[in-house]
Parts: sequence; C-alpha cells; structure tokens
Amino acid sequence: MEPLDQDLAEGELELPSEPMLLNMGPSHPAMHGTVRIVLELSGETIMKSDVQIGYLHRGFEKMCERGTWTQIFPYADRLNYVSPMLNNVGFALACEKMLGVTVPERCQHYRVVLGELARICDHMICSGAMCMELGAFTPFLYFARAREIIWDIFEEETGARVTHSFGRVGGMAKPPTADFKAMIRAGLPRVMQMVGEGEKLILKNRIFLDRVEGVGKISKEDALALGWTGVCLRSTGAAYDVRKTHPYMTYDRYDFDVPVGTQGDNYDRFMCRQDEIRQSIRIIDQALEMMADSGPINIDDPRIVLPPKEDVYTTIEATIQHFKIVMEGIKIPAGECYSYTEGGNGELGFYLVSDGSGTPYRVRIRPPCFPIVQGLSQLINGRMIADVVPTFGSLNMIGGECDH
Amino acid sequence: MATTTPAETPPAPPPPPNTIKIDGREIPFKKGDTIIRAAHDAGIDIPHYCWHPGLTVAANCRMCLVEILPPPGRPAMELDILRWDVEKNDYVSARKPKLLPACQQGCSPGMEVLSDSSDNVAEARSAVQEFLLLNHPVDCPICDQAGECRLQDYWLEHQRKGKRMQQEVVHKPKAVPFGPTIVYDAERCIVCTRCVRVSAELALDPVLSIRERGNLGEVTVSPGRELDHDYTLMTEHVCPVGALTSSDFRFKARVWFLRGARSVCQGCATGCSSFLDYDPRTNTAHRYRPRENLAVNKYWMCDEGMLSYKRAHEGRLTTALVGREDATIDEALQAAKEQLKGHKNDPSKIAIVLSAQHSNEDNFALATLAKMYLGAGDFFLAKRKPGRGDKILMSQDKNPNTRGATEAAGSSTPKPFADLIKGINAGTYSFVIALGSEVDVDDAEAQAALSKLKGVVTIASHVGPMAMAAHIALPACAWSEADGSYSNNPDEALRTKRPNGEPGAQLQTQRSERALTPQGDAVPAWKLVATLARTLGYAMDWKKLADVRAAMGPDPRTRAPSVEAVAIKPEATV
Amino acid sequence: MSKKVLDLLQEKFGAAILATHAQFGDDTAVIEPGSWRAVALFLRDDPRLGMNMFTDLCGVDYLNQRGEDEPRFEVVCHLRSLQYAHRIRIKSRIGDAEGETVEIDSLVPVWKGADWFERETFDLMGITFKGHPDLRRILMYPEFKGAPLRKDYPASKTQPLIPYREGTLDKLFPFGPDEGMAFGRQTHDYRNDRGES
Repeated sequence: MEPLDQDLAEGELELPSEPMLLNMGPSHPAMHGTVRIVLELSGETIMKSDVQIGYLHRGFEKMCERGTWTQIFPYADRLNYVSPMLNNVGFALACEKMLGVTVPERCQHYRVVLGELARICDHMICSGAMCMELGAFTPFLYFARAREIIWDIFEEETGARVTHSFGRVGGMAKPPTADFKAMIRAGLPRVMQMVGEGEKLILKNRIFLDRVEGVGKISKEDALALGWTGVCLRSTGAAYDVRKTHPYMTYDRYDFDVPVGTQGDNYDRFMCRQDEIRQSIRIIDQALEMMADSGPINIDDPRIVLPPKEDVYTTIEATIQHFKIVMEGIKIPAGECYSYTEGGNGELGFYLVSDGSGTPYRVRIRPPCFPIVQGLSQLINGRMIADVVPTFGSLNMIGGECDH
Repeated sequence: MATTTPAETPPAPPPPPNTIKIDGREIPFKKGDTIIRAAHDAGIDIPHYCWHPGLTVAANCRMCLVEILPPPGRPAMELDILRWDVEKNDYVSARKPKLLPACQQGCSPGMEVLSDSSDNVAEARSAVQEFLLLNHPVDCPICDQAGECRLQDYWLEHQRKGKRMQQEVVHKPKAVPFGPTIVYDAERCIVCTRCVRVSAELALDPVLSIRERGNLGEVTVSPGRELDHDYTLMTEHVCPVGALTSSDFRFKARVWFLRGARSVCQGCATGCSSFLDYDPRTNTAHRYRPRENLAVNKYWMCDEGMLSYKRAHEGRLTTALVGREDATIDEALQAAKEQLKGHKNDPSKIAIVLSAQHSNEDNFALATLAKMYLGAGDFFLAKRKPGRGDKILMSQDKNPNTRGATEAAGSSTPKPFADLIKGINAGTYSFVIALGSEVDVDDAEAQAALSKLKGVVTIASHVGPMAMAAHIALPACAWSEADGSYSNNPDEALRTKRPNGEPGAQLQTQRSERALTPQGDAVPAWKLVATLARTLGYAMDWKKLADVRAAMGPDPRTRAPSVEAVAIKPEATV
Repeated sequence: MSKKVLDLLQEKFGAAILATHAQFGDDTAVIEPGSWRAVALFLRDDPRLGMNMFTDLCGVDYLNQRGEDEPRFEVVCHLRSLQYAHRIRIKSRIGDAEGETVEIDSLVPVWKGADWFERETFDLMGITFKGHPDLRRILMYPEFKGAPLRKDYPASKTQPLIPYREGTLDKLFPFGPDEGMAFGRQTHDYRNDRGES
C-alpha cells in the first residue's frame, strides 16, 4: 500500500481508465415497456449511450396484411395502450380518408370525447410514472385513481377498460349509452380535483424541481430534425399540434389552447402535459354540449358498416351484407394514403397501401414515440445516471407503440 | 360520234367500323355478336345471371338490361311508367326509355350503349336484384355457393337495400336429389334455365325443364328419369346460385379457403383444362372446376373428369417398395442398384416402359436415361385400358399423355405392353425400368410376367399391377403435386365439328401447375429417374424442373405437335 | 398551397422526378434513386419549401405486383415543413426481384431523425442505406435471419433462440402453416417457401 501522503505529480497515480458499461433494462422498473439502455460510464457521467428497443415488437404490420381492414382495430388498440381510443380513431380516419366518406357529426363528437378522455389518461400516467420513479409515489397513486374514474366511463361505453377495439370504419361499434354524458360530467370534476392535488404535492418540491429543471434539454431545431412531434416538440417552443394546424373531425369548432414550452427540458414537458389535461377537459365539455342526444353514429353505407344482428338472422339482404363485409372485408380503393392525428405522444400516422381487395397490402404505423426515443441518447449523454430516469419518464415512450 | 362520259358516281362511303361504344369506350365486335358478348370479349362485365358464353341466349333474368341511345334522327323508345313521388306521397306519370337485354340485342356499327353510366340501368338492376331476393331463403351460412355466388356479389354492387315485401316468402322443396350426383334446392333457384340449356345443348339430353309459372317456378326432371347423363356436374357448375349442388362437394369445404391451381384433367386423352381446388391448410384436393380453353374443352368437363380429382389422394403409392415391403427411397435405390447389376453387359436386355399417365418431363427423363446412358432402345408404353367415349368431350383413350409419351421415345416408337409380356416370357429381357403402373392388358397376366424377373424397377404415383409386380417400386408425385406438361390426344370423333356446330378439340400441350405438397415420400418422377441414374453411376445432374425443360428443347406448347394423334382401337371394355 | 411543392420539385429536378400524383390529397413524387439525397437536401434547404420536419420513412414490398423488370421495393419518406405546414411524400423504387442488392442513399446527413427509421427499414425489409452511421437491426434480435416484412417471408415462421419443446409448434397454430383469412388473394407465394417449382 503506497503512502498517500507523499507528494505525487499529477497523472502519476494509476487509476483504472476503461469506461464502465452499465446495462439499464430491459427488465427495469424505470424502463417503461421494456427498453434497454447500454451506458458507457465514466464515474457517474454517461459518456455514450445506446438505446435498444424492440423487446415488445409483435409484428403488427405483418399481421395486418393477413386479415381484413376491420381486423386491424385490435392491433391499433395495442399500439399506445395507455390511450387506445386515439389509435382507434386515427386508424378509422385513415380508412375513411381512403374511402372518401365522413362519419355523421354525432359520431365525430363522440370520437373526440372518447379520444380526449384517453389523452387525459395518457398524460396522467406519464406524469405519475415519472414522479414515482423519482421517489414520489403518492402523485402516481392519485393519478391512477383518477384514471380509474375514466376507465369506468370506458367500461360503460365500450365494455373494456383498456383495449376497447371500439372504433370501426364508418363509425363506432356501438352507439353511446344513455348515461354517457352524465357519467362524464360527474366524473371529470373529480378527475380534475385529484390531478390538482397530485400536482400540489409535487410542483413545489425542491428535489423534484432540481431533478427535472434544466435536465434533458433539447433545442427546437434538433427536435424538428429528429422528427419529434407532440408534447415533446411543443415543450421546445414549436407550436405544432395536429388538432390546430390540420384540424380533423370537429376540432376546428372547439375553443382550446395548446400549451407551448420554452426550454425543452423535463420540466417543460411535464408542465405541458399537465396543461394539456386541462385543455382536454375543456374540449370534452364543449363536445358534450355540441353532441346531439340522438341520431346515427354509423354512416349509412352497406358496403362499410355491418347491419343489425336481428336483420342478419332474418333477411337475406342483411345476411349477404354481413357475409361480404366479414368474409371479404371492406373494399378500400387501390392506392396509398397517409393519415395523421394527434395521438397521446404526437403525430400518429398511418400510411396505408391498398390493392383494392378487402385485405390491406401494407399498413405502416408511424409511431410518435419512435423518433422521440431516438433522441434519448442525445439528451442523456454527458449527464449522470440518475438523470436518465426523469428524462426517459418525461418522453413518455410506450413500448407497444415504439416497437409495434 | 360524241361519246358521253358516264356520270361520275361519287365514291362509296367507307363502311362504318365494326365498333360499338359502351359507356363511352369503343370496343370492336364480330358479325352476329350480341352486346354482352362483345363486352365479354373486351373485358367489360355487364352483370348477368342467365347468359353463358357457351350456351344459347335465354334472356329471362333481365339483369343485363342496358340503355341504348337511339340512332341519330330517331326518337328514343320510351315507356309510360308511374314513379313514386316522395313529396306528393303519390304516384306520378313519367316516361322512361325502354331498356334492352344486352344478351339478346345484336351489335350494329356505331351503337351507343349505356351500362354503368345510366341511372335507369342502375335502377333496373336494383329492381331485378330485389325481385330475385324476394323469396330467397336465408341460407348463406349453409349454402355451398357462398363466396362464389352472384346474388351476393350483385347485391352489394347494385342494390344495397332491403326488400319491400312484407309477406311470408314462398316455400318450395329443398334438397331434392335429382340424380346420383346433383341435389336441387328449389327455394334458392332463380329459374335462369342455365341448367336446362346445359342438359339440352351440351349433354344433348334435354332431361330438365321448368314447371309452374311465376314465383312458383322450379326446375324439374322429366318424369320417369333421373339426371344421369355424363355432364350433370356441368349443371351445377353453371348454376349461378346454390340451387344445384354436387353431392360430392356438398358441405365439404368453404370456397374462400380453397385455392385453384391451373391443372389439366387426367381422366382421359381430351386433356380438358381445369382448376384443381385444394385447401392448402390440410393439403387436400376438394374438387375440379372447368377452366376456359376454347381450343380443347371450351367451358366444360365431363362428370368422369370432374370426379377424377380424387386420384390425387386415392390409391397412391406413398412409400418405396422393395419386394412388396415398405422401404425408404434410399434403401430402394440401393436394392435397385443390386438388382440391375449386369445391365451394362447387354443393353438389349433392358426394356424401358414409358407411361401415358405421367407428364412429358417424367417420360423425357426416363427416355434420356435409356437412350443416353443405358443404351437401351426397346420402348414400351404403359396405358390405362380404354373406356367409354362420346362425341362431346369424352375420349375412349383414358390416358392424359399418350401422345406425349409417344413423342418422348423419339424415333424408337414405343411398342404396346403386350409385346413386352411376350418378350419377357421368351426371355428377351432381363431388366425392366418402368414409369407408371397401369397397363392395358390383363392385370393378372402382366403381374405374372413381371414377377418372373428380378430386375424390375417401377416409378409410379399410384398402385397398380406394375407397381405391385415390380421388385422395386419408387413413389412418384401425382399430377397434382408437381408441375408438368401433358399433350392431349382427343378421339377422331371429338376433333371434328361438334353436333352443335362448334369447332372440335385441337391438339395441344398444356402445362399443369402444382397444387399440393407431395404425399408420403413422393418425389417428382423425373427427379427419381435422375437419382436412380446417379445411383447407377451415371451423371444425370438435373436439380430443378427448369433444367429438365431446358433439356427438352423448345416449348412444346408453341411448336406444332411432332406426333400425329395416336389412334387407339375403339374397343371399349366398359 | 402544397401544389407548389410538386411544381418546384419538377422545375428543379426535371427528369429525376419520374411521376407525381396527389391521390387522396397527399402530394407524392416518385424520385429516381440516384437523386434521392439531392432531392432531400433541396426539400430541406430551399427557403420556399423548408421541410425541416422529418416525419416517416418506410419500405413497401411490391413482390409480383409490378412487371417483371420493375424494381420490387419502394422506399417512402414523408416530410413536413413547420413554417409552411405543407407536406410531401417522396418515394423511390429500388431492388430486384430476388431482393439481393437493395440499396439507396441514407438521409441521415440531411435529417438526424432518419437514423432509426432507416434502421427499422433495414431490419424489417432488408434495404441497405449507404452512408448510414450505424446500420444494424433495431427491432429484431441480432441473430435473426432474413427480412420479416417482405412478402416472401411467411408470417408463421419462427426463429426461436431456444428451440421449442417437441410438439409445441403443432399446438401453436389452429391451422397449418398457411392459416388465414385472405379471401381470394394469395398473401404470399407459398410455393417459393418450399423451394423451387
């Protein structure tokens, strides 16, 4: 053992000089939806990082080519499984764009309401999970409790809490129930109250603010070049929301704001999400006002929507209609189309190639969080291991969507 | 004398081109064509039920009604009709141009036809479709025609509405057996009379006709008779709905799980083009459908041929046999090498048997082995015994490739199998390498003769006298499991003009597509020949079918047949 | 407004733009593969276009859908401009029927975001991007062989890293190797799966 009090010149001490490789994930509590980050560390600082995804790749795009267009809805649900309704609606709109049809107005309001409820769930869970990983467990439980209220509404409407498969080309699977508006009007204030309480617990906390402010910063130009959209892009200052810039369905009739950040760090992303929850509630209130209490939900085209079951069992025409749609699939005209909506994480795009038969030729899902996770390396290089956790949490990477 | 020049006659105007316009698109027509036939030849589909390109025109379904614009200068032929006015809540008088059936109206130059672009036509089609479905039973889940049914397709394309009738539908007999092969369901029938016409015009046996009138109409078999001619399955094939079903195919498979391979019927020497419908999931063949081939079978196939798809699975040789015991192909090849020892000493002792039941490629492979490597020159032909033929489609020669096998032997024409038996009994031959297993002599005699020799190798797809008698049998793929080409050999009677005036069947070589995966240990016969050659020490290195086809020379489908049709003696054993 | 984009592209590149259309309202231009990067740079840098948002990049396999001599694959890229809010889809047709050498220039030097999209297309379609800094599989595991999203890769094929126990595979699928609902259309030419014809 060398005496340490001796005067040694700088650089003569033998220190181990190889960087350490640390493996975060894929089975890691902070790696939402299984992601593996291989970190090359020098002490606590990350020199290089390699983000490896693909652990939840289930071959959706290949499976879509083996059924009919309607059979893609269950796959679409399982993309962003914290806000499945937004995926359903996005895909239904893509098919309707190719068919050249528009659903009745009542259905559009209905889709907007269900979609915004899903968005609220998405943002709440993202924020909650991020807090939980930083050690603040309670806000997560508050937000999860709020999500239960919304899931009760979904269960009443669609029959399932999470993966509803409720959207259809040309409308929805079932019309709204009688208690639809009442349940939402009763539930949303409670949701808002719980969100408010959760925020109160966390937003003035010194530890929280130190860990998220200034961490994971990205510039607007970098975010644009990387292909970022959604909350992560808006937090850098670029005001791009598909609902405002390319309004679809009835979004142009609602009065809502789009929160935009300035720094592009974790704190801005967190706050953008919280503000968006409030804006979503505004949209839902307006949509419920505008939505009629009666009227058709599905368009009236026998080539696209299924007939009522009692007719199928008793009349030959409905049997034929049911048969052709189910066995052969909806005949979407040949061609290609890219349709995009604002998903939970950003621009959810569907690039569909049809060959005119009832089976899709190619279904490409453009996942919003795929390019976002691509930028993760850039955000964490040069920072410490502990910064990976809130940064990754604030990006809201959903494994099902990123890996499709 | 002053000559008067004759008054100059103006040049005759050029004859109008033989084209008509359908929805603005100009298409040519031949003299005597109806609109629907001209459209059919041009690839335009005018919806129809009762018209069939191979039958006479009936014009009873009224689905092909089209609007024909009047010739220039003439008013349109219009009818007085009553149209329901929603606002007035009452009928109002209106006029509508008279629509004409495209299947009956002949083409004349310059005619303008509106089919999809006319609202009147769309209304007419919707109305016809409504009437046809008025009393139709809700049978789609149990009807065999589901998936290939015109009522389904046309409803979705042309009507898309429910029917307005409130009363109970008319009930008629269901599942009436018309004969040994066909079952009739009167409720599903739309009385298009295609089956009546097929029986009368194709089978020349007018046993079906229509009884009753109006919405009670149904097809009936002549009293005292059954539907038992040789083309009953064609009545099922032309039926556009599920009224006539084949007892053989009923409830066996759903058509959307079936794929159709373009095949050639192996039942007789006419070589009708067919679709072999098989289920790739279970690897089973379920039925044949005729494929359009205007040169050979037009649109038809006979019953015997339609049911011959069963040979894809029945009576197959699935494992190699050595001494009539099961063995692997390798063991069999080793045994063959043993048994054929000494064949190089005297090639004249080797007899080669080609098969009229196997494809050109298989026969070519064996012939090449014989001529190029073994030096054997004595070819014989193994064929199935002749059967009953007729003047319509059935040949007496029940082998699909007589001409092809004969061609494969080249200059040394194959001799009949009886000669081989004589030769074996006389001791001329010690070794026999054979393709196929059916023979046209007495089975017992053939088996006795072949069992005398030890050096008998047969490559066969089905069991038969030769496969059973041979010391070594190798399992070959049937026609359904390997691509192959077959040269047809229709009877003299079929090649002349048909009784209904149509031209007869022509000589043609057709390629048949592979459908199923090979059963058991079966390997394509040409591959077995090549492997046998390699086992015996010869360098026959064909790996892919393309290699064999390249070695065969120019595509036989495009060149003239090198062998005239091989006549067979018209002695029928049936 | 976006009609301008196609017009500007055709002005600048003329013959390199093989075809354009605007089906369903999406502007599309088919680019000759050699000009892929040049077109991308023009779209990003030209002040009238300003396509600074890289949206999507994927591949499509048109096996047996086009003529014999037509390239089999298509690389499709979607772009957007934040400032002008217009979009464009650029495509390029590459590859031979066998699917052996399928390559095109990488767009990573133009937009950083193309990185993972190109890796995914390389992984699932087998298209190589020349000039990509780190072209390796992203969604499939490194030992995986083949390009799974191609039409001639059977959907029911598995490549387990640890072999299945005996009899497991029979229980996995309700139908045989070729199950499916594809009514009337062969989703892949299964004959090729079993080798030569």
